[in-house]
Amino acid sequence: MVPAPKVRSGQTVGIPSGFPCLLLLAMVLAANVASAAIVERVPRVLILYPLDERTPAPVIVGESARNRLLEVTTGKIDLFSEFLDLTRFSDKIHIDRMARYLAAKYVDYRPDVVIAIAEPAANFIVAHRSTIAPNARIVFSGFGSDTAARMKLPSDVVGAFTEFDIAKTLQMARSLQPSARHLFIVGGSSEFDRSWLALARKELALLVKSYETTYLTDLTIDEFVERVARLPSESIVLFLTVSKDSTGRDLIPRDALERIAATASAPIYGPFSTYVGHGIVGGNTVTFESAGLAVADLTADAIGGKVIANVDVPQTYVADARQLKHWDLSESRLPPGTVQSFKEKTLWEEHQRLIIAILVVLALQGLVIGGLLVERRRRHGAEQEARRRLLEVVHLNQSATAGALSASIAHELNQPLGAIRANAEAAEVMIRGKTPDLKLIQQILCDIRDDDQRAEDIIVRLRGLLKKRSEIDWQEFDLKDVIKSSIQILHAEAGRRNITISFSQPVAQLPVRADQVHVQQVILNLATNAMDAMLDAVSTERRLVFQTTLTEGSEVELSISDTGRGIPSGQLARVFDAFYTTKATGTGLGLSIARTIIETYGGKIWADNRADGGAVFRFVLPLAQRG
Amino acid sequence: MGPIVHIVDDDKSFRIAVGRLLEASGFRVISYESGDDILTRLTGSEPGCILLDLQMPGLSGSELQGCLAQKAPLLPIVFLTGQAEIEDSVRAMKAGAEDFLEKHASNKALLGAIERALLQYEKRRTQQDHVHSLHALVAALTPREYQVFDRIVRGKRNKQIAYDLSTSERTVKAHRHSVMEKLGVGSLAEAVSIAERLGLVDPAA
Repeated sequence: MVPAPKVRSGQTVGIPSGFPCLLLLAMVLAANVASAAIVERVPRVLILYPLDERTPAPVIVGESARNRLLEVTTGKIDLFSEFLDLTRFSDKIHIDRMARYLAAKYVDYRPDVVIAIAEPAANFIVAHRSTIAPNARIVFSGFGSDTAARMKLPSDVVGAFTEFDIAKTLQMARSLQPSARHLFIVGGSSEFDRSWLALARKELALLVKSYETTYLTDLTIDEFVERVARLPSESIVLFLTVSKDSTGRDLIPRDALERIAATASAPIYGPFSTYVGHGIVGGNTVTFESAGLAVADLTADAIGGKVIANVDVPQTYVADARQLKHWDLSESRLPPGTVQSFKEKTLWEEHQRLIIAILVVLALQGLVIGGLLVERRRRHGAEQEARRRLLEVVHLNQSATAGALSASIAHELNQPLGAIRANAEAAEVMIRGKTPDLKLIQQILCDIRDDDQRAEDIIVRLRGLLKKRSEIDWQEFDLKDVIKSSIQILHAEAGRRNITISFSQPVAQLPVRADQVHVQQVILNLATNAMDAMLDAVSTERRLVFQTTLTEGSEVELSISDTGRGIPSGQLARVFDAFYTTKATGTGLGLSIARTIIETYGGKIWADNRADGGAVFRFVLPLAQRG
Repeated sequence: MGPIVHIVDDDKSFRIAVGRLLEASGFRVISYESGDDILTRLTGSEPGCILLDLQMPGLSGSELQGCLAQKAPLLPIVFLTGQAEIEDSVRAMKAGAEDFLEKHASNKALLGAIERALLQYEKRRTQQDHVHSLHALVAALTPREYQVFDRIVRGKRNKQIAYDLSTSERTVKAHRHSVMEKLGVGSLAEAVSIAERLGLVDPAA
């Protein structure tokens, strides 16, 4: 059974005027009784349940009280429970029989405190306290103060009032469904149910004016189910209690609610926390747990000899998160402080700290990674930019070299072209003759082909010097081949200047890994510098010597020595600096670029003066590893 | 026997090709691979010209030009270069080159230059022959007659010459007559001309 309601507006039904005096008296008496009751043994508490063990509300109150008492006494307490089953066995014979039975049962274990849950249990123990628990304090819960007044309880019987407020429940419904037009109030046929209905009519008198209100009463459980399943839209259902239907059939209100809610066409609200989880959206209630806690605290105080007095169990709004979701009602419209049940804990709620920690770590990692990425991108960009610039400068310098050598290159190219022309014209003249020497003409054609090939080879050799490239073309090649190719390019210019070039080819292969054109660029640069340096030298002593050495088997050194005037002492270290030049037309970039190129490929470059005059430039490059 | 074209070029392929062209055009050709080569082998006794590459290892074309002027002054030089620079060509022409061609030059241009060079050779040869005969005439003078010849082409009067040679004016007159007769000239101007041709007097002096 559920507790009897009480009107909270306090105007129509008030607390009797003598009540404060009674309360005072009760407190004085309680103090006296309690001080006499506690002896030097474990205190005994008997919890009386009005119904059987299936009815949730009193059981929750009792269990809550029981747990609290075990907690505050650290287990040093004897707890007894009795289920009086007073609705099914409500005749006086049964009540007397039960009283005698309990009196006999507890003859050697007279309780120090009896906790009576709800009105029937309270009435029972008040009537039979002298036989069952003659010296015990009686505390109760499960009904309101006006019920207590109506019951005319003895002044030493105090309790935790559970005041239910139907209006607040409806307020909650109204807040959640502001556009609702219809209100259906469901009540059963038992006396208890009718008391709740009467209270609702009274308490909701003002509020129902906002709605088209229908009381669904005097129906069978099946009729309840059917009616609630066919409600108009924008309806609110207020479920009070149905402990009997119109056929007189006993029902547990919660079960009745569950059956009706199963097919309901509108949200249902109710004033009991036990309804939560069985079909109501929510309501205003005192929770049975808190009622239990309140009565347990009174009990503990009584055992401890303290003065006890009536208390009110605080009211709370309760709601069922699943129902809110089901009816698509906004959680934000719930009254403040509403306790939600069945709310699926989000991962966030369940592991908030862990998640925060993880997020912080992730955020920090993200920041670090992001920072590193930005940094990397910047650096990458800068490196690419630098490389691009370098390639541009190298290209410019290559072009400059090509320009400086252009006369020689033209000469070089004109050799085969001139030969081709002469051969072709010779053949032409021969063919016009009386007896053309076909064998010779065939040889001429052969030579023409060879010279054409020669011209092409020259162009190929030069192409690298002229072609603009945006990337380094890494490849493995024999340094020897590049030296030879460079000498071929320089050959004409050297001839023009009466410079003898010598290169004794090494037997060993000199595999290096770099951009071939860049290395050729360095060689040409060093060689043209050397040739320029020999302008003043005696014609017969102009010698440009290329020489390669393997150093410690892992590097190859190329030296280019000249017979020029050498490098002024003290300038050896500076010659590779940018814009250092001794030539009137020099840019001072050639050697600086040469150094950059050689260092790019992991090598070194330096200059010396030779003992017998002239300078020698050397660079080393790492040998490519051959698998 | 036709004239000989001497080709000096370090590039064998080009040398052969030009040699073929010139031979097909009716010239005799002798090829040399370097300046040293031609200086060793050239006799210079036959008519012809020299085709000279400007850029060669060893003796360069212009250095060779000087040597050849000594060794074979009659052979005109035509330069053939893979790369013509004004500076080079001016220097070559000043030094007496007959022509200055690029290697890429056409058959016509090349043969034309060679024809002109050979004409030049003929001219030089004729001049040289003439000078030789004049030399022979001059050589036929007695020492006393040469002394008088030397003085009359310098514009000295008989009286002066007599004074210089410590002889009489009459004697000078007799020698002068004899000189004019031996040289086969009728006037002083002709005698001066011979002296100039033989380089005995500076025409500008």
